[in-house]
Amino acid sequence: MNTNKTTIKINNRDLALSNLDKVLYPAANFTKSQILKYYSSIAPYILPHLKGRAMTLKRYPNGVNEDYFFEKRCPAHRPGWLETADIPYGTSKQLNACLVNNLETLVWVENLASIELHVPLCSAKTPLTPDSVVFDLDPGENAGVLECAKVALIIKGLLDNMKLWSAVKTSGKKGLHVYVPLNSGKTTFDDTKNFSRAIAGSMQNNYPGLVTSIMAKTSRDKKVFINWSQNDASKTMVAAYSLRAADKPMASTPLGWKELKAFLKKNDPAGLQFTYSQTLTRAKKNGDLFSAMLDKKQRLPYL
Amino acid sequence: MKKTKKAAGKTVKKNAGAKKTETPADNIPMQGIWSGTISFSLVAIPVRLVKAVEPGRVSFRMLHNKDYSPLKRKMFCPDSGKIVPPEEIIRGYEISPGKHIMITDEELESVSPDRSRTIEISEFIDLGEVDPIYFDHPYFLTPLKGGEKSYRLLVEAMKRTNKAGLAKFVLGEREYLVTVKARGKALELCTLHYNDEILSGDEYAPKKDEASDAEKNAVKNSIKKMISPFAPEKYSDQRKEKLLGILKEKTKEKQQVLAPETEEEGSAEGYEDLVAALEDSMKKIKKG
Repeated sequence: MNTNKTTIKINNRDLALSNLDKVLYPAANFTKSQILKYYSSIAPYILPHLKGRAMTLKRYPNGVNEDYFFEKRCPAHRPGWLETADIPYGTSKQLNACLVNNLETLVWVENLASIELHVPLCSAKTPLTPDSVVFDLDPGENAGVLECAKVALIIKGLLDNMKLWSAVKTSGKKGLHVYVPLNSGKTTFDDTKNFSRAIAGSMQNNYPGLVTSIMAKTSRDKKVFINWSQNDASKTMVAAYSLRAADKPMASTPLGWKELKAFLKKNDPAGLQFTYSQTLTRAKKNGDLFSAMLDKKQRLPYL
Repeated sequence: MKKTKKAAGKTVKKNAGAKKTETPADNIPMQGIWSGTISFSLVAIPVRLVKAVEPGRVSFRMLHNKDYSPLKRKMFCPDSGKIVPPEEIIRGYEISPGKHIMITDEELESVSPDRSRTIEISEFIDLGEVDPIYFDHPYFLTPLKGGEKSYRLLVEAMKRTNKAGLAKFVLGEREYLVTVKARGKALELCTLHYNDEILSGDEYAPKKDEASDAEKNAVKNSIKKMISPFAPEKYSDQRKEKLLGILKEKTKEKQQVLAPETEEEGSAEGYEDLVAALEDSMKKIKKG
């Protein structure tokens, strides 16, 4: 039986799926069909975070060990029903991007081996006003997710003192992402950039051995780089619940702050790496720990 | 007076250049500063204005020696010592020290010429009649789609008659008097200084002091001995070349310094308050 190709129907739309048996994570013998299965199961949790956002597809047509490419433009061979949006690109141009608003679109983009799904911090309708501030914590050499956890918890303390609610997720690799929902429609990227830059600068001044706000690789040894410049209209972040291209199919996974503290206390970096199946189990058990990102309204103080 | 006017003219060009560096992807060599039509009697040719000279300056950015952050200029009030944000800055024309007449953006705009999309040639002149002191800044005009044929015809006709067009032309906030002439197969546009911008050199000339015929002849002869055709390619900006040499060497040796990742200054209102509040907050956190 040829299981490599099939046509399925979702919401009355026909989708032709191909290369289903292709192994895209060789070290884990994880195939495209398993990727499609994961995304279909996680769909209720991931879709709200993708909805209305200009999707950047990070495609790995020949698996995680081979060349990949970013696709910001929605492929021309897309089906007619697929929703897209024109978003500003560069200073004067526009770009037509896919909006992954429903299950059939999610399955369609995954059939293109878009292992990683990256979205901007703003919705396509309001390209100038981000819905959240992000602190992208990226460990340098000789640092790891536990150092990131330390930094994340200090940032949470600072945010708490400003009465700002925040959420954290694993990057699915070695980093952590701290988010502050805004959903105000008024805060600009200049505001969020200034805000995150001030925190990154303050962290660097107070924890010079642990934190750097400088991108240069050489200044990152044993330190966590707070990449505040992600708070930009042109940048994207890997979406919560997206798979990551690594040896094993890991996913970017929302966490409770208490959990994070516990992992740090136990000195357990491995515990902060979630495979796709753990992420799915967690989501089913805990619900969407990132759901407040969708509607919690907050204002940045001072700015 | 001449100097300030020139500087103001330069700002326009600089802004056009700055815009380009922001979008390197769009920076195709032919990008125009202006586009519109050049016209006389019944002919209108769509053209684009592009630069004809590349200023030879090597420019530097000012960096902070502590962390190599690029520095920015800010307006500050010497009385209070405080930085004044752009929205609190207005224009004053100084009539005597400390006394100013305010002028609003609207008033400035009211005197600016209407933006125009045409270079209307009003007269054809003999360029030999134009004192070179009038020439300010040269540009090229290139034909846009559909204008190629009339463009070629105008170039050829100007060449044959050895005449140049004189026109008025609005670029940025100013109206310029310009000459348009044939240069090879292209049209060259040059902005001119207005008559009242040209200073008289008379006051700099020495008072009459008769020299003898022998002295006059001696000078004339030494000039004659040194006559040669004008060959600008023989000369170059030595300092610039040496400087570029040093920079090239340093790039090879990878002697670069890295700025912290700051695309924009944290210049927003309240930024300093935020930083101060964070420092307070940080103390609390450190105490546990």
